[in-house]
Amino acid sequence: MATPAARFTPTPPDKGSFPIDHEGKCKVPMRRYMDCLRRKEYDNNLCRELSKEYLQCRMDNNLMQQEPWQKLGFKDLLTTETGDSR
Amino acid sequence: MSKADAMLYAVSLTIVACGGAYVGVPFFKLFCRQFGLGGNPEYARGHNTGKIEQMARVEDRILTVYFTADKHASMKWNFRPQQQSIKVVPGETALAFYTAENPTEEQVIGISTYTIMPYTAAPYFNKIQCFCFEEQILNPHEKVDMPVFFYIDPDFDEDPELEFEDSIVLSYTFFQAKEGMSLSLPGFLSGGKKEAAKPQPAA
Repeated sequence: MATPAARFTPTPPDKGSFPIDHEGKCKVPMRRYMDCLRRKEYDNNLCRELSKEYLQCRMDNNLMQQEPWQKLGFKDLLTTETGDSR
Repeated sequence: MSKADAMLYAVSLTIVACGGAYVGVPFFKLFCRQFGLGGNPEYARGHNTGKIEQMARVEDRILTVYFTADKHASMKWNFRPQQQSIKVVPGETALAFYTAENPTEEQVIGISTYTIMPYTAAPYFNKIQCFCFEEQILNPHEKVDMPVFFYIDPDFDEDPELEFEDSIVLSYTFFQAKEGMSLSLPGFLSGGKKEAAKPQPAA
């Protein structure tokens, strides 16, 4: 029985495009995250705190829309923080 | 109705029912692909953005996402992924980076598209935010980091077609954008782009 083969259709990202960080404002958090990945054999689960910091940097510098962390999949990291998030 | 007639009716009904069962499988596959799993249209085509908050990690299903970069022959940028691969599990958001550099003396505008392999994994690959489809401008000799923030839908683990697939390849290709050029992506340019909530960078 012939069914049409699955075709790949690109879809737009949920929250659109990241503006380019022309001034390199978030280069440092990016480097720290990449260093963590290298050390931890590229296991995303072990470097999520640093990826959160990178995204925080983007939000702080108007390079990303402010979003509550739960909506970005970081709700488990919120419970380990004490006091206000940065 | 005589017993023979009743028998005939019963047998033909059985045959029709069995035939329906055979036809049903690919039919529903087609239907669900078009309209979404469980009839929920939010799961089809675009992605259910409220899902991120509720989704749970599928701890024991470790997947490796490989990153490749390509560019059209006339594209002058250098473009490469910063990591060859990342280990993720479905239901977990992940961040990856590409780097783009403009080695020329003039401003170059790029626009990118992507593919996912295997195609069967593509409906589960959700990009929360990335750098694709919108024009990106690089100044002369500028080098920038380009992040991709994504997750793999937990339903990936439930798909029998993907039971033995533990690798996904994300491939970006950059093209040089010229005046008046538009990427012809079927069915895409009508949606998505206009809704992109991009904050205006401080001047």
